[in-house]
Amino acid sequence: MNLKKLLKVTGLVCLALMLTSIPLLGAGCDSGNKVKVGFSICYTGVAAEKGRPMGNAKLDCMKYINEELGGVAGYEIEVIWRDNEYNAAKAATIINELMDAGSLLFTTNSSAMMTASATTANREAFPGFAVFSTPSLTNPPQHIYAQMPDYGDDWAAFANYYLDNIWQGEGKPKMALHLLNNSTGAGARAAAELLAEDMGIELLPIEEHDATTISEIASLTRIKALEPDVLYISSTPQPTSIIIKDAVDLGIYPGVTIGLGHAGITSQLIELAGADVVEGVYGVYPTVNWDDDVPAMEKMKEYCLEYHPEDYGNMDYITSWAEALIVVEILRLAIENVGVDNLTPQAVEEYGFKMLDNFDVGGLHGPVSYTEGDNRLSKSVRVFQITSGEISPITGWIEAPQIPYVFD
Amino acid sequence: MDLPSGVRNFSYAKDMAIFRTKAHWALLLLLLVLIFTSPLYLGNHWLSVANLIGITIIAATGLNILTGYCGQLSIGHAGFIAVGAYTSAVLTNRFEMPFLVGLISAGLLAGFVGMIFGIPSVRVKGFYLAISTIAAQIIIIWVINHWTSVTGGFNGIPVPPAEIAGITFISQGSQFYLIIGITILVIFFAKNLARTKVGRAFVAVRDNDLAAEVMGINLFRYKLLAFFIGCFLAGIAGSLLAHWIGFLSAENFRITDSILYIGILIIGGLGTTIGPIFGVIFIRLLEKGISFIAPTLESTFDLPAGFTTGIGPMVFGLVIILFLILQPRGLAHRWQLFKASYRLWPFSY
Amino acid sequence: MNELLQFVITGLTVGMVYSLIALGFVLVWKSSGVANLALGQMVLISSWFAYSMLAQVGLPTWLGLIMVVVFALALGWIIERFILRPLIAQPILSLITVTLGLAFFLEGLVSFIWPKSVAALPHVLPQQVIHIGTAVVSMEYLLAAAISLALFILLSLYFKYSRMGIAMRATADDQLAVQACGIPVTKIFSRSWMFACVLAAIGGILMSSIGGITYGLVHTGLKAFSVVILGGLNSFLGAMIAGPIIGLAENVGDGYLTPLTWPGVKDVIPFIIIIIVMFIKPYGLFGEERIERI
Repeated sequence: MNLKKLLKVTGLVCLALMLTSIPLLGAGCDSGNKVKVGFSICYTGVAAEKGRPMGNAKLDCMKYINEELGGVAGYEIEVIWRDNEYNAAKAATIINELMDAGSLLFTTNSSAMMTASATTANREAFPGFAVFSTPSLTNPPQHIYAQMPDYGDDWAAFANYYLDNIWQGEGKPKMALHLLNNSTGAGARAAAELLAEDMGIELLPIEEHDATTISEIASLTRIKALEPDVLYISSTPQPTSIIIKDAVDLGIYPGVTIGLGHAGITSQLIELAGADVVEGVYGVYPTVNWDDDVPAMEKMKEYCLEYHPEDYGNMDYITSWAEALIVVEILRLAIENVGVDNLTPQAVEEYGFKMLDNFDVGGLHGPVSYTEGDNRLSKSVRVFQITSGEISPITGWIEAPQIPYVFD
Repeated sequence: MDLPSGVRNFSYAKDMAIFRTKAHWALLLLLLVLIFTSPLYLGNHWLSVANLIGITIIAATGLNILTGYCGQLSIGHAGFIAVGAYTSAVLTNRFEMPFLVGLISAGLLAGFVGMIFGIPSVRVKGFYLAISTIAAQIIIIWVINHWTSVTGGFNGIPVPPAEIAGITFISQGSQFYLIIGITILVIFFAKNLARTKVGRAFVAVRDNDLAAEVMGINLFRYKLLAFFIGCFLAGIAGSLLAHWIGFLSAENFRITDSILYIGILIIGGLGTTIGPIFGVIFIRLLEKGISFIAPTLESTFDLPAGFTTGIGPMVFGLVIILFLILQPRGLAHRWQLFKASYRLWPFSY
Repeated sequence: MNELLQFVITGLTVGMVYSLIALGFVLVWKSSGVANLALGQMVLISSWFAYSMLAQVGLPTWLGLIMVVVFALALGWIIERFILRPLIAQPILSLITVTLGLAFFLEGLVSFIWPKSVAALPHVLPQQVIHIGTAVVSMEYLLAAAISLALFILLSLYFKYSRMGIAMRATADDQLAVQACGIPVTKIFSRSWMFACVLAAIGGILMSSIGGITYGLVHTGLKAFSVVILGGLNSFLGAMIAGPIIGLAENVGDGYLTPLTWPGVKDVIPFIIIIIVMFIKPYGLFGEERIERI
């Protein structure tokens, strides 16, 4: 009985301490000669798989910028980052926190967390960008930007490549779409439905799968009956591996060309499905590989190995390292154009975001520019192919055209 | 009852009053003043946290009526919140209806959907009901995701800000008044519901539904009524959530959230009005604290990489388990004990 | 017609895997009357442990599998001893919610120890493809189905003939009477949780050998609930028959309903079945209907 009581008392004391310490800790931030940026990261929760390496990458990169390069234009960058747990309600409080704390711009990793933050940010003209985005965020363009081409752009780029380089037959190729049941799939679907007819592709009825699927034999049987020429999968690695394995079992693949959106073509896919199964699969990805020799690679590898060796080889780390480089470039442009004393979020958007012109992001992904009316910052992807267990690029940067989406 | 000594009541109405002494009224007034002036000294961030707490209290109060008072376990509460959120979003966005119409219809439709999925409760209870409510949530979310022409599907749907009689609730401060106002109404309603015939019937059903039926309580009617009221409040909370975030996607309503609501009730105390309030404040601040402290701890003490990711659910699960084992009546009971000891101090014997 | 054959075969084999998970649920329900909502999380954590043993430590498969079973036994014992036992004789609501708390805790523990969210388990099952008529089925699934059938027979026999099994059934029926007979009830609870964890571990190894280890295993746990609801909570036979029915409904229904409704209908079919069963026959096909007395 005494033990119980002791437990209770200590529990209550811990609780009380915790509750009182939160505001104190929160008040502890003090700014000197610093410029502030806010990161809303899905570090935990169901998307931690991507959020964690991305969070690590951008924080590592900021460390590099502050410690080795002395910040941006001589001013240290103060990073305010919060974990949104991939929870929209929390993301909505975090965007307020970031604005209250005086950050000049903000980023999120995922489109879902950006949509939860975007309304507030757009109302207050607080600029930010999402690393992975969905077409509805940047259409119509407001104060939210997209770092990478979205899942729709992936589809368009792949379809172009397929028509130009792979398709040999007569008439229209028949394309089956196997899509994940969230925005990853919906983006590809929106683009396919808008563009396929004009491009000369016949779309077969769309199949959809859940992230937790264990067998897609049934849906592939239906696809098989329609005799497609090409199968496009916009999904994450695990379901993609199931689909490709089942396609092999059913004898669809090899035979049909398989193309993947950028969420699917990662080293995890090869690990899960086995190198021999995914041999020859095509995919679209917006960044370079870990082995590519580009200027920013050396420092990135060094920091990754020193601070987060477990993320080495993870493509998301590259994506987010690039994200941090873009944040720095935006701040640099803004400081150069209006001076550090006049920095406001609005000034950063006008003289930072909108001044981006062919910034090469250390070669990590396609060049970043702002064009009037198109809030996508980088518009380029490359087509990759899996050969003997390696994901190797087979094209240079292909610019994905802006797709005329209409959202209400 | 917990009254200071020397207070006597000379009429039934006085005996039943919630606030009975001058001190009660003074404290209430103080609390209200404190709440309604808080936008003056809280920043947008803490106001938004307060708004989230308010919305969660409304939803948790609904679940408390259903589970705490009437004993019908629902693990699909987030699904019913989603029904309300989407109703309000679709009405105000696509049909450009006023916010109040959206709010009320959100409650009604969520309540109605809740009633349909509550029908099995007449024949089954406990685990069966828990599973059918989980199934309800999965089906609801699936429909929302696929009924693209109405709900926007996976692309989500933007929600215009709430507007009543020309006042648009855009800033966190103005939304705070809207949300907290409704929250107070809901708490007042819940507190009084528990003291009516309906409330007592709910408790009878919870304690032993067969016995209740024998005593002349129409089980079908009262169980469905509990589902209706519980889900109605979920719908109201959903509508407020939709207008507060400004953008909806079905991903925001997960089974995990439904479990969170159950956890809130357990921690706060089932079947008390004050319980959900304590539970919500506890859980929301705990989450806030963990997401603030965990990354710092991980980087300072060089903890393994999974620390931040795992600590949240672990602590939350542990809190539920520990409360169930050590304090099954929740924080509300603690509060009662505190009030009693305060009243009797220093002569507690 | 060719397609139907394929749908049926896929449905049956996938359904048998669901049955396997469902058996673990029935086991606990049958002997202690606790509804275990942490089923999926138990599958998840034992899959990750198997990954640790086989891929990270690199033990030979047989030794690794033994380690996993030992781990599952320990996990079951710990869960029962420290979480369920203090709650004996508490209301059913507490018993259900405590497993929800457990589910959260295990999920947190998994991401705490194994921060990566996807991993491939080394293949413990052969990978060939077998052709049945025009349909194909992977060897993995056939073996998984066979294992699940074997476990079902083993469990049924155990509950029917072994002393402990009979005691377990008796405990589920009337704890007080059993205690009066001098049977240690706590030991029975403990054992049933240990067995349930082993079943979850076997299911986890089979499933993650097929599809890799992901958070999705939790969701399969949810599907197993539809199996137990359809089959009846306290019937091994029910779970064994309902699994393939759910699998069939999922795959055949998906095959023919998708063109009529929205794509992805497969994922809600088990849950629609739950609702239908609740309306028509709430105690399932083989479940025992309890008559309540005041």
